[in-house]
Amino acid sequence: MSAIAETARRSQARRRTRIDGWRWGGRIFLVFMLLYTALPMIWMLITSIKSGFAAMQFPPQWWPDQPTLASYQKLLDPQNSVGQDFLRFFWNSLFVSTATTILSVIVAVPAAYAFSRFTFPGRNFLFFAVLLRNMFPAVIFLVPLFILMRAIGLVNTHGSLVLTYLTFGLPLAIWLLKGFYDNIPVQLEQAARIDGATRFQAFILIVMPLSAPGIIATAIYSFIGAWNEYIYAYTFLSKNEQLTLPVGIQRFFSENTTDFPGLMAASFMMSVPVVVLFLVLQRYFVRALTEGAVKH
Amino acid sequence: MLRKIWEHRADYAYVLPAIAVMLIVIAYPIYYTIELSFFNTPPGLQLRDKIFVGLDNYIAILTSPVFWKVTSNTLIWTLASTFVSFVLGFACALALHRDFIGRGILRAILIVPWVISAVAASYIWKWIYHSDFGIIGAVLVGLGLADRPPNFIDSVSTVLPSLIVVNIWREFPFAMIMMMAGLQTVPDQLLRAAKVDGANAWQRFWHVTFPHLRNVSTVTILLLAVANFNSFIIPWIMTGGGPSNASHIWITHIYELAFGRQRWGVASAYSVLLFLILMSLGYFYVRALSGNERKDGNE
Repeated sequence: MSAIAETARRSQARRRTRIDGWRWGGRIFLVFMLLYTALPMIWMLITSIKSGFAAMQFPPQWWPDQPTLASYQKLLDPQNSVGQDFLRFFWNSLFVSTATTILSVIVAVPAAYAFSRFTFPGRNFLFFAVLLRNMFPAVIFLVPLFILMRAIGLVNTHGSLVLTYLTFGLPLAIWLLKGFYDNIPVQLEQAARIDGATRFQAFILIVMPLSAPGIIATAIYSFIGAWNEYIYAYTFLSKNEQLTLPVGIQRFFSENTTDFPGLMAASFMMSVPVVVLFLVLQRYFVRALTEGAVKH
Repeated sequence: MLRKIWEHRADYAYVLPAIAVMLIVIAYPIYYTIELSFFNTPPGLQLRDKIFVGLDNYIAILTSPVFWKVTSNTLIWTLASTFVSFVLGFACALALHRDFIGRGILRAILIVPWVISAVAASYIWKWIYHSDFGIIGAVLVGLGLADRPPNFIDSVSTVLPSLIVVNIWREFPFAMIMMMAGLQTVPDQLLRAAKVDGANAWQRFWHVTFPHLRNVSTVTILLLAVANFNSFIIPWIMTGGGPSNASHIWITHIYELAFGRQRWGVASAYSVLLFLILMSLGYFYVRALSGNERKDGNE
């Protein structure tokens, strides 16, 4: 009897140590990943509050002797030519990203709804054709699109970027939203239509509110994608006053290659809007992925 | 067939905007690229003065030594980035699955690299790798592991691994988010039942969790592979493909051929080859996705 109890206790103890082993392994791994992720960003912040002279030292100052916000002041000062440029790039990025986001929601919502609800000939083909867009790199489309944009007079306008950015947001947006609509029972709409709503009213009043997390996720994805896009903006825009942030910063700092504090401050400020947006809305994003894309 | 299309004409109105945008921005460029790949465009000439050269562009590519160098770089870059990003992201998702204090904050921090612009990421790491004032070099010298700061991105042998580290830094959070979403769909009852039956942590993972995640894993790996195959910003900003092509991958090479050297024909031929490779990857992508579809239909 006691032997059995002893064995049971021992095996329990062994199981506990083994589980603890996994748990400790997980913790150590997470600490490692945290360092890998965070240290580069911390070093960016520390460098951005150094003077140009303090940044160029070996061994480096781990914490600056004289922390200064000069780089940020320079970038945000509308009197200064650097600040003027930076603020203009910032505004351009904001405009292009917002326009892209609004348009992709307007285009993706009805398309995803149709792919989810209707069975029309060619539905599967069109659905996968839309998804395949994800497969192709920007470079393939660059030359022909440049020529196309020139033909329709959009070169050097933000319209060329908005039109192009729409197409990389769309595939994922349609895919995510379709998953959402698949999970909304058709009976809800049918009930609304029995009560006298048109198909469109049922869509706006019943389906849209239920798919709000999906729409928010779609919007975040489009906004971040447009905000960070580089290669099209680099190719389509040549006038300084139209550049978006990634290209503007690159142009600017290829002339001032040694101003690392300024570059780090600019990188930081370029990242703030998207990081804040994402952190505030991330639960919708993860939920949309769970319900829209993964739950099958 | 036509009558069926006509009966459903109202349905097409919903997809029309999406399809129209896609046609303009995708179908036309693909056609134009294929056409241009059979022409030569001598520098200084207008694009419309192109000269038909048949398959010469393709032959020139396949016989050039740069092609093989760039291809092997692309393979190393894509496979290493995809594999390590997926493993790290999956492990993070597993480690973050159980609730603990600070989990939300930790998850948020781990996602940040994926959200920030690749241009910003490239500059941050370029500064970290800096051959005179870089922090990694300084730490190595400080610990006595090196006499002088190593040249990470100016040396032929270390440049590609160094850039892959940056790419993984930016990509593993995507795998983490996807796998976190996937883990939430693994039924708790099954895991508990397995535990009652005496399965240990590893067995529960291998026999219950992992099979449930097969589809998500496939989609994640394919999306990562395609994104890595198509990456441009990190190598372009950090090294521009150098030194001596050691960090050129297909996309940066095509870009340089087209916009740097104005060799539109050869660049287009490269794009067509790329296109063929991606179409075959796309076949698996669609199959993984339609695997989901089919299961949906049965439910």
